[in-house]
Amino acid sequence: MLVYLSKRLLMTFLVIAVTSVIAFLLVHLSGDPAAAMAGEGASQADIETVRETYGFDRPLYVQYLDWVSRVVTGDLGRSTYLRADVTDVLARHLPVTATLGVCALGFALALSIPLGVLAALRPNTMIDRFSLWLAVAGQALPSFLFALGLMYLFGVYLRVLPISGSETWWHFIMPSVALGYYATPAIMRLTRSGMLDVMLSDHVRTARAYGLSPWRVVVRHGLRHAIIPVVSLAAVQLGFMLGGSIVIETIFSLKGIGHLAWESIQRADIEVIQAILLVIAVAYAVLTLLADLLNAALDPRIRIS
Amino acid sequence: MLLSRTILASGILAITAASAQAGKENDTFVWSTSTEMDTADIYYGNQREALINAYAMCDGLLHRDPITNEFQALLATSWEWTDDTTLELELREGVKFHDGTDFDAEDVAYTLNHVADPDSDMKIRVLVDWIDNVEAVDTYKVRINAKRPTPAALQYLTGTSPIYPSGHYADAPVVPGADGAERRDWGAVQPVCTGPYKLAEYVAGESLTLEANPDYFEDSPKGKPSIGTLVYKTIKDPETQIAEVVTGGVDWIWGVPPENAEMLSSMGNLTVVSAPTMRMSFLSLDAAGRTGDTPMTDLKVRQAIAHAINREAIAENLVGDGAEVQKSMCAPVQFGCETDVKQYPYDPEKAKALLAEAGYPDGFSVPFHAYRDRAYSEAVLNDLRAVGIETDLQFLQWRALRPKIVDDEVQIGHLTFGSNGILDVSASTSYYFTGGPDDYARDEEVKAWLEEADRTTDQEERKALYSKALNKIANQAYYIPLFMYGRTYAFNKDLDYPVTPDEMAHFYLAKWK
Repeated sequence: MLVYLSKRLLMTFLVIAVTSVIAFLLVHLSGDPAAAMAGEGASQADIETVRETYGFDRPLYVQYLDWVSRVVTGDLGRSTYLRADVTDVLARHLPVTATLGVCALGFALALSIPLGVLAALRPNTMIDRFSLWLAVAGQALPSFLFALGLMYLFGVYLRVLPISGSETWWHFIMPSVALGYYATPAIMRLTRSGMLDVMLSDHVRTARAYGLSPWRVVVRHGLRHAIIPVVSLAAVQLGFMLGGSIVIETIFSLKGIGHLAWESIQRADIEVIQAILLVIAVAYAVLTLLADLLNAALDPRIRIS
Repeated sequence: MLLSRTILASGILAITAASAQAGKENDTFVWSTSTEMDTADIYYGNQREALINAYAMCDGLLHRDPITNEFQALLATSWEWTDDTTLELELREGVKFHDGTDFDAEDVAYTLNHVADPDSDMKIRVLVDWIDNVEAVDTYKVRINAKRPTPAALQYLTGTSPIYPSGHYADAPVVPGADGAERRDWGAVQPVCTGPYKLAEYVAGESLTLEANPDYFEDSPKGKPSIGTLVYKTIKDPETQIAEVVTGGVDWIWGVPPENAEMLSSMGNLTVVSAPTMRMSFLSLDAAGRTGDTPMTDLKVRQAIAHAINREAIAENLVGDGAEVQKSMCAPVQFGCETDVKQYPYDPEKAKALLAEAGYPDGFSVPFHAYRDRAYSEAVLNDLRAVGIETDLQFLQWRALRPKIVDDEVQIGHLTFGSNGILDVSASTSYYFTGGPDDYARDEEVKAWLEEADRTTDQEERKALYSKALNKIANQAYYIPLFMYGRTYAFNKDLDYPVTPDEMAHFYLAKWK
């Protein structure tokens, strides 16, 4: 177990190191960061001043090592654009994204698991077709269009939900639905196929033969097995939601991590980009680990082996 | 049941609180753009949002009336050039900063000396580079010693140069610079001013809140503040801005896309107006041959390009409300902008004839660099293709294009420039034609005229020199002016405020009807 854990940790470390190097190079290769920071209309002298002030005239590896040496002491650097420490900036943006991600995943699970189970219990009926339709629609509809549709219906037409911002819980309803809906199809299809397999297996037949209540059979003996791959998928989806909610965050004007990353890339705010990548890489690794642990809890076979 | 009722009730409360923030009944004016503010201190940023807020919360020595364009006394009550390079100003007495301290000559000297220092990191150097030093002559009199005669100095001393209290930057955070060195982040200090509104809260990249200053001095040309609270917030997505302004969550937006303008003006609760901005869109042609042997060095080719482009159609049909054809290489609101120069009306046949005369009867092929609005660049490309000029569009981000401009790699560049909001031709024409890295004309005569104009105090003489330079630029078709960007504003019908052609929003003048 210890060997396994240390291997995993080493892998995580390598993943983070490699992503940060690649990200660092991409940011520098996509144009002159000094020109981006000085902004449009800046004179050449201004740009040179920026280049010297921030050390962009040094070799890339020196700049990279400079950053790494500070990060290991816990100093994530400073946002040159927002003029604040990156730690403080992240502390303001992370809760927004975390709230959005968790709510969106909650919505996705609450919608897709019952639908998946129902579809599996009544294959090739109206219920199955409806859930298939819902899944296909979720996959086919671009998330920004769906988000704008929600905004128009609930924000402008009915005026029951706030349109933008993150002041109250109500502000998170539309973004969570819009983001979560996108994850629904995959989870639903996986639940359905898992349940179909499990419901035909020997132990479910045995459980039925014992005369257990249908509810108990479905939830305890069926779903518990079918849900194992869903847990892994949900973890990946949550990681995706934490890093990939740029569109939704932008539309609903939520100041979260995805939006911050996108903006920071535009303005070459390098230390913020690096810090976000670090956070997302760590989040992915931790979520994957948690999914494995949860699976182990659900399935004794994984636990023992 | 009780629980669900409580949740429902608190939810309704939350909704009403959220949607009722803006508007007349709360005396709270909320305005929104898609910019994320990088500083509240206008000396350390060049965003319009920072300037709009600076005008509301700060005062400069002078005030430029946004409607008449006249200079008026603000923190200075009178001013005089005692010689070519010495400007003396008498200051207003009895003015207090928002932190309660009294305003005097020391504050003026401190602020201007701080930003004029070459190491101050001040963003738009041209505003302060002319200052050698500033002395407090007595409590209410300052003397500005200029490095050279600076005719635009009065313009530079208006709202773009707010006055802060003495010692204002003392608490600027020390942050790590390159190679373990340290630097000061001056722009992180929140402004303390004397203006009609006080800074209540600033969240970088998100919002800025101002509250009316009840103690603002009576006879200010900016007037006493009328609206209680001004809130700026960033909403990135234009569709979201529109949804907010329609439902009253936001009171004012600008940059309304042409396709939405009509829909918004049909709404009973909104006023929709368009006005030109200071941003010009133009082609930079490599007349100097910086990229090597290029057809652009031939006057006939440059004139052919000018005749080939249907500027009226692009300005009116594509760019839309508020946009205007740009006649000369400057913004018409700028001092010294001569617009009575040679024009090249849309005439594709003439363009083809000129190309044939230049030895390109079948046209030629050329790389075309652009960065800002792809649709507008493509319209220009279509016009060029129609006369036989095939272009290879290289659409880049500004930060990728800029090094190419500097490194002599841009034969034709579709560029835009907003003059950093400075209402003087020295900020636009002189920026492009005085031999800097952006100068692809490299005309020594034009350069000499502009440099002389930039330091001549006699205003008529200045105008004459700028006129000469702009005439030659047009005759030689060095750069092809295309259009001035327009902008459509949509705001709460209850709001009474003047839309001005300086691409500013003077919210300190706003009132509820």
